[in-house]
Amino acid sequence: MQGLAFALWLANLLLDTGGQLSFKAAATDKLAGDGLARWKYMLARPWIWVGIACYVFEFVVWVAFLSLVPLSKGVLLGSINIIAIMIAGRFLFHERLSPMRVTGILLVAVGVAIVGAGG
Amino acid sequence: MKRFYIIGFALLLAFDSLNLVCFKLAGNQALPVEMSVAWFARVFSHPWIYGAVIGYIGAFVTWMSLLKHAPVGPAFAASHLEVVSVMVLSYWVFSEPVTPTQIVGAIAIVAGIICLAFAEGDEGAHDVVPA
Repeated sequence: MQGLAFALWLANLLLDTGGQLSFKAAATDKLAGDGLARWKYMLARPWIWVGIACYVFEFVVWVAFLSLVPLSKGVLLGSINIIAIMIAGRFLFHERLSPMRVTGILLVAVGVAIVGAGG
Repeated sequence: MKRFYIIGFALLLAFDSLNLVCFKLAGNQALPVEMSVAWFARVFSHPWIYGAVIGYIGAFVTWMSLLKHAPVGPAFAASHLEVVSVMVLSYWVFSEPVTPTQIVGAIAIVAGIICLAFAEGDEGAHDVVPA
């Protein structure tokens, strides 16, 4: 992988992880309440917007990355994000990683990589 | 809680699939691709693109509702079931070829989600949610 492609790959990984963690932070705010009030509360706080901003930048980075590498290599990257978000969830949100959960997440990651490679 | 997850992930899958299939249909009808206002106008003159927009919004609302309870690591992995549904739909709607390798990948994804579903029964209640 060339330098620019690697930088774009890393940016995509960081933006995807940052975006998902921001959404999780927005969604688990205990003061948010329920129903429409929950949405009003979430939309008035920064986290959901940080997440959306990550997604907008990620979209641009992703398109640029795919223009530099074959699609199958690009899809492999999606499976690495799954593992990164699992680890980040463990440290930031104290999500338990039992052997069963880790097995499930790794199987999905490998499956996504295989579908990408076979396309 | 089990029903919440089943309905939530089914909805997410439906919206994600709707989004991708509508994008493909809108793109097909707006051919040829060009970076111009005319192409943009063609894309937005077909009803399909609005299906894609509905898919985006629906998936976002569903995802934020799921994340209220679901741990983000396993949920993000499970959301990749969309890869399998889109594979089936692209074979069915667009007659795109599916390779044996892709079927092996799809089986791994489904097996992983079955593991996650079992794990949820054992430990879902123990997740710590930050204050």
